[in-house]
Amino acid sequence: MGHGNYIDPMKDVRPGPGMTEAKGAERYTVQAGERLELTYVVLPGESRDIDVSVDLVGEGAEAVLRGVFLCNADERVRIHVLMHHRAPRCVSRQLFNGLAGGRADVLFNGRIVVAPDAQQTEAYQENHNILRSETARVESRPELEIYADDVKCSHGATVGRLNEDEQFYMRSRGIPEDEAQFLQMVSFLAPVTSVLPEDGRKKVEAAVRTL
Amino acid sequence: MDRNEENQIIQDITAQEYKEGFVTDVEQDLIPKGLDENVIRMISRLKEEPRWLLDFRLDAFRKWQAMTMPTWPHLDLPDIDFQDIIYYAAPKKDKDRPKEIDPKLAETFEKLGIPLHEREVLAGVVAVDAVFDSVSVTTTFRKTLAEKGIIFCSFSEAVREHPDLVRKYLATVVPVNDNYYAALNSAVFSDGSFCYIPKGVRCPMDLSSYFRINARGTGQFERTLIVAEEGSYVSYMEGCTAPMRDEQQLHAAVVEIIVEKDADVRYSTVQNWYPGDAEGKGGILNLVTKRGICKGSGAHLSWTQVETGSAITWKYPSTILKGDDSTSEFYSVAVTNHFQQADTGTKMVHLGRGTKSRIVSKGISAGRSQNSYRGLVRMNPGAQGARNFSQCDSLLIGSKCGAHTFPDIVSTNPTAVVEHEATTSKISEDQLYYLGQRGIGEEEAVGLIVNGYAREVLSRLPMEFAVEAQKLLQISLEGSVG
Repeated sequence: MGHGNYIDPMKDVRPGPGMTEAKGAERYTVQAGERLELTYVVLPGESRDIDVSVDLVGEGAEAVLRGVFLCNADERVRIHVLMHHRAPRCVSRQLFNGLAGGRADVLFNGRIVVAPDAQQTEAYQENHNILRSETARVESRPELEIYADDVKCSHGATVGRLNEDEQFYMRSRGIPEDEAQFLQMVSFLAPVTSVLPEDGRKKVEAAVRTL
Repeated sequence: MDRNEENQIIQDITAQEYKEGFVTDVEQDLIPKGLDENVIRMISRLKEEPRWLLDFRLDAFRKWQAMTMPTWPHLDLPDIDFQDIIYYAAPKKDKDRPKEIDPKLAETFEKLGIPLHEREVLAGVVAVDAVFDSVSVTTTFRKTLAEKGIIFCSFSEAVREHPDLVRKYLATVVPVNDNYYAALNSAVFSDGSFCYIPKGVRCPMDLSSYFRINARGTGQFERTLIVAEEGSYVSYMEGCTAPMRDEQQLHAAVVEIIVEKDADVRYSTVQNWYPGDAEGKGGILNLVTKRGICKGSGAHLSWTQVETGSAITWKYPSTILKGDDSTSEFYSVAVTNHFQQADTGTKMVHLGRGTKSRIVSKGISAGRSQNSYRGLVRMNPGAQGARNFSQCDSLLIGSKCGAHTFPDIVSTNPTAVVEHEATTSKISEDQLYYLGQRGIGEEEAVGLIVNGYAREVLSRLPMEFAVEAQKLLQISLEGSVG
């Protein structure tokens, strides 16, 4: 049988339905007043399993998880995030943006669980993907499981292509197609890369050039 | 608001009765409890079915035996003892007047607001197929519809009178072994509606099926098949109720819709099965499979559902967008209260180029209920330039309930665009305060807010249905804010 009521996800790190991969390999516990910040970068050619679970156990704990992935060959990227709000007034944010080309296979499975009594929770989650080839595959499964009522939770997920109007605008101003696309991709990743140190950001930009 | 007032309000809602919860005292033909090949042969014999349909059932039964109950839904589903269910129950016919409707049945449907006599109703004319337990009682306006070439009758009649059509389309959208409950339905289905709209015909009135469970210990397994030929149009409505009982009753239906080139089908449901009492006792287990296919180019299928009933709902009306430039929408309001559980949503499978779909889902949970949205949007390699937008909002009323969202987006087409958004929040205190300040009582304010919240969906319903749905929302939730 399935289950319909709250089960502590940390005792039973169970992936969403149909998923078998998440095991909660990386685990973090965030106490009252603490703030956890994690940023993941997956560069071209790299297959990765990011499998992270965060337990917000103290009142007012905060967690920010970000990530970018750039795929253009036959990478296999799996991102599993379990964000568990166990205490009141915690805040969590997740933002994962990525580009998938070649024969890449990307899965994002982000799960937010708000336990009963974790009131005044704020939890946000975003996953945006650009699909760049006909042989790549992107799957996004953002999940919300909310067992408290005084919460603000939202998620957004998109899979799409580079905006043609923007391209047209730049090209009509004499920016070559390659450069226009480069600028679009860099700005698409910017919400994540802007927090990276200078050399990290440069590395990502250099990688975008190779796509 | 103070504690007492809060308790009072909570008591008021729990005391709210389910007005469709009466039992009709009518003599019934029941077959013995249990499920095996003999039972299936018996159902088939009672319905005087041709050999091919019996074979279809037996094949389904064998497949079902090899399957297991799905465990992935976010539901605490009780163990269902399939041997403890009566699979066929029909009101006895008066032998002297077999054509006439038993006045008790007519009275039942009258009481439910479903006219079995052909007459004008508020929003114009509606043709009804009324199903009572395992049989269709009557189908109205058949002659008027037949003049246009439209076939609207019970499934059993369709098998007798239009076997070629039934055979051509049956199980083409929902294969026999699609899932556990669909396989069960294929083996034991009793009655349901059949609807065929010929090429280029615009159905002059709304068609509607009304399903009523009455007998104790039974399950209802109806099957609906709608075929809309090229360029045709039909608006189809479905409603349902059941008596109040301590036992849970199973309802496992299958609905299949075939939409040909440029045809337009609108399917609306107001689901008001008995939800169980305030302690979570009894109620209907509503485990249904509904799926349509936009077969030809430019075909359009829209699903609108208002789900307020059932102890457990497991339902994903879905569309396969095969024809180029075909479109589909899913609009849903699901309300759960007390111990109700709902796991509902949709699947949009984009195969053709330029296909478009839109999903708007509004969940409202109160009491100790659990309400989940589950959806799939798939963009296949052929879906050039396809587009989907999904918006799923959940509203929480009270701190003991749960609201969940499980979307799945899969894309393998770089020209396709998918967007999904979901929010979860509680009923806004600012809005309540604002309305209170203007002299609007708490209960009425909640009603206003919820109706406003669900408006986008309610406005899609045919007029008569919209009125009923609004009333239902009010009854399910009035004053449930503390």
